[in-house]
Order: sequence, then C-alpha cells, then structure tokens
Amino acid sequence: MSPDLVLQQALNGISFGALLFILAAGLSLIFGMMDVVNLAHGAFYMLGAYITLKIVDVTQQFWPAIVVAPLALALLGLVLEPTLLRRLRGRHLDQVLLTIGVALVMADLIGLFWGREIRALPFPPGLDGSVVIAGNVYPIYRLFVIAFAIGLALLLAYLHRRTAVGALIRAGVDDAEMLSALGVDTDRLFAFTFAVGAGLAGLAGVIAAPAFGVHPGMDVEALIYSLIVVVVGGLGTLTGAAAGAGLVGPADTFGKTLFQEFALALIFAIMAVVLLARPSGLFGRIRISR
Amino acid sequence: MSVAAAALAVSGLERRFGGIRAVDGVSFAIAAGERRAVIGPNGAGKTTLFNVLTGELAPTAGTVHLHGADVTGMRTWQLARRGLARMYQRNELFAALPARDNVALALAAAKGPYRASAAGAAEERREAMDLLGRVGLSGREAVAPRALSHGERRQLELAVTLAQRPSVLLLDEPTAGMSPAETAAITRLIGELDRSLTILVVEHDMDVVFRVADRITVLHEGKVIADGSPDEVRGDRVVHDVYLGKALEA
Amino acid sequence: MTAAAEARSSRILAAPSVYAGLAVVAVAALLTFPEWASGIEGSRYWESILRDVLVFGIYALSLDLLVGRAGMPSLGHAAFFGGGAYAAAISAARLGTDELVVTLTAAILVAAFLAVVIGVLSVRASGIFFLMLTLAFAQMVFALAFQWTDVTGGSNGFSAIRRPMAFGLDLNPADALYRTVVVVFAVVVLLLWWLHRSQYGRALVGVRENERRMRALGYDTVRLKLSAFVLAGALAGVAGALSTWSFRIVSANDVGLSRSVEAFVMVLIGGAGTLLGPIVGAGVVVYIDRVLSSSIPFSQTVLGLVFVVFVLAARQGIVGSMRSALARARR
Repeated sequence: MSPDLVLQQALNGISFGALLFILAAGLSLIFGMMDVVNLAHGAFYMLGAYITLKIVDVTQQFWPAIVVAPLALALLGLVLEPTLLRRLRGRHLDQVLLTIGVALVMADLIGLFWGREIRALPFPPGLDGSVVIAGNVYPIYRLFVIAFAIGLALLLAYLHRRTAVGALIRAGVDDAEMLSALGVDTDRLFAFTFAVGAGLAGLAGVIAAPAFGVHPGMDVEALIYSLIVVVVGGLGTLTGAAAGAGLVGPADTFGKTLFQEFALALIFAIMAVVLLARPSGLFGRIRISR
Repeated sequence: MSVAAAALAVSGLERRFGGIRAVDGVSFAIAAGERRAVIGPNGAGKTTLFNVLTGELAPTAGTVHLHGADVTGMRTWQLARRGLARMYQRNELFAALPARDNVALALAAAKGPYRASAAGAAEERREAMDLLGRVGLSGREAVAPRALSHGERRQLELAVTLAQRPSVLLLDEPTAGMSPAETAAITRLIGELDRSLTILVVEHDMDVVFRVADRITVLHEGKVIADGSPDEVRGDRVVHDVYLGKALEA
Repeated sequence: MTAAAEARSSRILAAPSVYAGLAVVAVAALLTFPEWASGIEGSRYWESILRDVLVFGIYALSLDLLVGRAGMPSLGHAAFFGGGAYAAAISAARLGTDELVVTLTAAILVAAFLAVVIGVLSVRASGIFFLMLTLAFAQMVFALAFQWTDVTGGSNGFSAIRRPMAFGLDLNPADALYRTVVVVFAVVVLLLWWLHRSQYGRALVGVRENERRMRALGYDTVRLKLSAFVLAGALAGVAGALSTWSFRIVSANDVGLSRSVEAFVMVLIGGAGTLLGPIVGAGVVVYIDRVLSSSIPFSQTVLGLVFVVFVLAARQGIVGSMRSALARARR
C-alpha cells in the first residue's frame, strides 16, 4: 500500500469506527444498566435510517431527521421497556430473547412498509463536497461523522460524570438492587435508559443513512458490528465502546483493502485474541469461569 | 509437620485484589485426620482463603500442597478429583433436580460423565438414599432443593459434599442461618464423621468451633495471628483483643 | 375416574415401553405416509411439508441439546447447519461423487470442525455473553459463505443440486428422499433419547442447573460443554445436508442470523429440554414459514409475535406447558 492509500484508509477506518461508537454506545449503556443485550438494537438502527429516508423523501431535507428519528426511537423504547421487558425483570436471558422477537417483527414491518429495495440517500447539503487532505480527495461527510462522534462522546462522558442522571446510571451499573433499596425509582430509570439506548441506535441510523444507504439486512449487519465492538471493548462501559469501535473500525477498513473477501478473518482474529487474553473484553466487567 | 506429611499445607499464600491483600502470606499445615477451624472477624479473608484452596481463585503468590503434591493453581475440578470437597456457605445445589439426583451427580463424579449408560445407577441410587438418611433427609429424596427448607438445604449441601467421598473436607460456615436444634444436629453429624477425614472448617459459632476443632487458626486482615489448640487460642491475648473477646461476649 | 384408576393410568403413561411403542407407531406412520396419504388432495405438498418439519426437527433437537439440556443459549447454530449444507453440496461437486455416505460424512465433519473452532472460543463464557459470542462468530461464517465466491458460489450459492444415492437407491424421487429423511430423523431421535438418559446427559443437566457445583464435584465442565457444542454442531450439520437435498439449493441464508433465530424459536415455542418440544416447534415454524407465508405477506411478524408471547407467558413452550398442566392435574 502506498502512503497515500494508507492515510486515506486510516481516515476511512476512523470514520467507520466513529459510526460504530455511536451505534455501540447505546447497546453498551443498556447492558451496563439493565444487564440486557438488546438484540433489537440493529432493528432500532434500521428504523432510524428508514425514518431518515422518509423525511428526506418528503421534505427534501436531512437535518430534521437528526432530531426526529432519535426522538421517535426513544419514544418506542419508552413504550417497549415497560410493556415487555419490565414483565421479565430479573430474568436477563429471557429479556434478551424478547428483544429477538421485537427485532423479527420490526425488520419485517419495515420491509412491508418501505419495500425491500436498496435505496441510496444524498449527502446533506453543505456536507456533500470533498476536501483535499495531503493530496487525497476526501468526502467531507466522513469527516463530519468523526467530528460528530467525538462531540457525542464528550457529551455522553459529561452527562455520565457530571449530572444527577449520570450518577444514577453509574450507580446502577454497579448495583441496581442497591439503588432500588435506596428508594430510587428503578422502573423509571430503566425505561429512561432503554429509551436513550434506542435513541442512540436511531441516531446512528440517521448518520449512517447518507453514507451507506438503506437496505434489508442492514439491521443484522449493524447488530453484529456493535456486538463485536462491545465484545472487544468490553460490555457496559463507555470507554469499552470507544476502545472497541476505535479498534474494529480501522481493522475492518484495512482488512477490506488488504484481504478483500477475508476482511472478517482479521476481525475474527482480533476477537479471538482479545477473548483468549482478556475474556471480559478490554474494559469489560463480566466474570468468566475458570 | 512437613509439607509432605500434611493432608493440606499452604505456604506464603497470598491473594491480592488490586491493592488489597485479602489473603496475605498465610501458612499452615493440617495433618491427616485433623479437624482444624479457621476463625476471624468478618473480612479477615476466610472466604477468599477457601476460594483459593478450592481453585476458584488463583493465588497471586505462595503454594498449596494436597497430600504432599503441589496443587498450586490447579482448577477446581482437578482438586475435587484429588479428594478435596467443599460445603458451600451459600448452598450450591441443583435447584430443579430432586435431592437424590443432587447426591447422585456427586456420587457419579468420580467415574466421569463419559459413560455410555447410567450403569451402576441402581447402586448409586441406594448409596444416595443412605447418605440422605445419614444427614436426616429420609423421605425427602424426591423433593428439589427449591422446595426444601433452609435447614434441609444445608443438610443436602452436606450430603452432596460427603457423596464426593473426599479425603479433605472444607466446611464453609456449616451452621449458617440454622436454628439451635439444626445447629446441634449438624454439629453432631460433623463430629461423627470418619476420623480419617481431614476437616477444615470456617465457623462463626464459637460453641461449634470449640466442640469440633482439634486446632484453631486465627485470621485477621488476611494474616495468621494465632495458631494452636483451642485452649491456647482461648488464652491468647492478641486474639482476645481483636476478635474472641467480642465474639464471646456477644 | 377414581383416584386408583387415575394413578394406574398415569403409571401406564409414564412407562418407557409405552413411549417406545408410540414412537415405533409414529415412525411407521411417517414412513408409509406416501402410501396411505396418496388419496388425499395435495398429499405431495404435505409430504414435502412433513419432510421439512423433520429436517428442521433434527436442527431444533440439535440446538436443544445446548439450550434445553446444558443451558447454553447459542444464537449461532446456523453456522453448523449452513456448514453442513454447503459441505454436502461442495463435496459432491468437488469429489465428483453422489454417495450419501461420503457427502453426509463431509457435512458432519465440516460442521463439527466449525463447532470446535467456535466452541473453544465461546464455551468458557456463559449466559448472555455466550449468546453474543456464538452470534458474532456464526456471522463470520456467514460472511465467509457470502464472500468466498470461488468455493461457496457467493450470494447465489448453489442451485439445482442433485440428490445423492444411498446404498444404490436414487434419492432424486421425492418419496425416496422423504423416506431417507424419516430414517435419519428416527436415528437422531433415538440417539438423543439414549444420550439424555446416559450419565453424560445427566451431567449436562447438572451444568445447566449449577456449573459451579459441577466443577466443585470434579467435572471438567469446559470439556463437557465443548463436547456438547461439537455434538450439537455435528447434528445440525446433518440437518443442513438434508436441507440441501430437500430444497436442492444452498445459499448464505442457510448460515445467516435468521436461520439461527429460527432454531431458537422452534426450541422455545415447542419446549426446551424435552424430546418432543423441538419437533413440535419445528412444525409451528415450518407451518408459518411455508404455509402461512403464502397467504399473508407479514408471516415473519406473526412468527415474531408468537415468539414474544411464548417468552412472556409460556416460557416452557407447548410441550413443557402441557407437561406441567398434566402434572398439576395428577396431583
């Protein structure tokens, strides 16, 4: 690979990693709080992208989507948590199974409503150009994704460390039972957490739509990538999501350039090495049996 | 006593969690057939010590010898195969299986799971019934642990542990949460066990400790602060100050 | 019914010989279906539906060995189903053979190999983490099937696959294949029946109920779980090979997440930890996928909703719930 190509691929990789961070942050948040791996996370992401498509189709505008889609997904989360997950409180595996059913239904209904074709979206006006970096032409939108993810990471870190809700979530990550013994309304806290996680998935869908378009099966792709990110980075922490995304994004991009069809072998190797060396992920907090 | 002669010997055993040394340079040797109690206030490192002895935690330093063989860092199942059994403080039972199946799984462990048929199942069943009778669970063989009372679960826990036919038995607070009558019964049971069995017991109830133990090791903040016969430990000034005084007054 | 008569009837129901007799009758009925159903309208169609139920029944039973017995919630079982499906097609083409013994062996070996690789990396984890790992690793097998075009035919896979010969019998006619599927199904059920009653089966249930205690008793639970994982993978490979011959198509779909989910749904709807449950579950799912989908466009939504209802309200599945109801009635 020429140095030019390396630089270009590095930027691509970081940009993809940035998107993965937005995607994995919501998954990790929900797990950290509720011990539930939300397998409908990919479907939430997909819905976010399709809502974006709808908004662009109807209004010819992209920016409303960045507010509307996450809010719509958060609302959906706010409905689903109390009506479904709460009934199985304490049965984490069953809650995970429940989200499989939700994912099945959502993916099918999206296909029914929007059709099953591949659709491309234009880049939003203002971000549709490209810049020249070190002699390489580079799409502005990818740089925007990186900047956006960094901004979001800083915002989330701030909310997590400095606000009352963040303190509750941090406490909940350590011990949800203790929280409830202290008189915190865990029902509301869990519903809120699930809503935020769903909203983040929707946000990732909005950001991804102009870059990757929308198509059936994008839910599974997104779910798998976000699972790999949290397996590598460690479940339940923001740092883990960031580390995993920072590793998996570039690895995937370089893998595709270097090995073409065997790009996933590289990801597989990374996952295998991390699992063998640190079974709970780089920053994880899951105990593995000896 | 030399390490080779001891049934269970630990030397310089240490387990750190980050900066905290939960077990800090513990050494002792237990002779075959000896009944040893480990006592100490909450947080003294007793449970961590047990977890290291059973291989559920790896030691960060030091050695463990079982019947003269170095078993440091071995996994739980390997130690069990070498004759080490543990009665858990919080029962570790097969919640949905009948009591007799709980015991049968322990009886069958020595032969391993890779047997074509459940050969010898009838014999195992009879043995399971015997054991359940010995711990006082006659007539409760078909009941699953989740339907047993707390006291009965402790009895079953002991039966499962004995079914492993161990040579070294670790008892982690055998009387925890029991009524005085149940405590008396289980203390009697422990006293009646075959004298060839080496027993290490962690217990808060000093009556039980002084009734069962030949020798007592006192743990405080991860370190051994006293080690001797019950009378020696009872008279030890340091032990009195940090622990026993309070426990005996209470 | 008097109490005594009730006790007698429940004893009769519980006797193994009664179940064995029923099973023999069921297999005989299945084997002779092409004959006795020949007068019924659409019997060819229903024969193919029945065949699919049995193929997916094997698949679901293989997953139940993990989910229902050993308590290992694998969400990557399609890797082994698909691995077997591809291996059956590719080995026939590459080796230039149509001997069932050869291609079925290839399917079993490939599926078992994949299960060893994925199992070594995942069986130490348990619960949700195990589920995630199996899902992620299986998806890598999917990507391999999708992208390694030279070997797997890429996204198209293979179609118009010839059915094999079994001991001189040509399986291309529908009835011959159907009967072969019935025989393989019966062998697999018998094998699992025996396995679950063996010491090995008991030990797996012990792992499900309390892995920590199993280790403390001296069981090498990692090896135990890995062996179950590989065995389940091999059986899924058998189901995959049968599906290749049934549908005469292999594609990346056979390795995809929805194929994994399908198996999980079958096991849970039918009843995990029972021998009959996964078969019943396979019946429900095949019905929705093949029969219902031809009349309504949102059959997957129906499947999803059915699954949600079972997880919420009948976690024991159809067979498990009926069994509990029977036990309550007897008391």
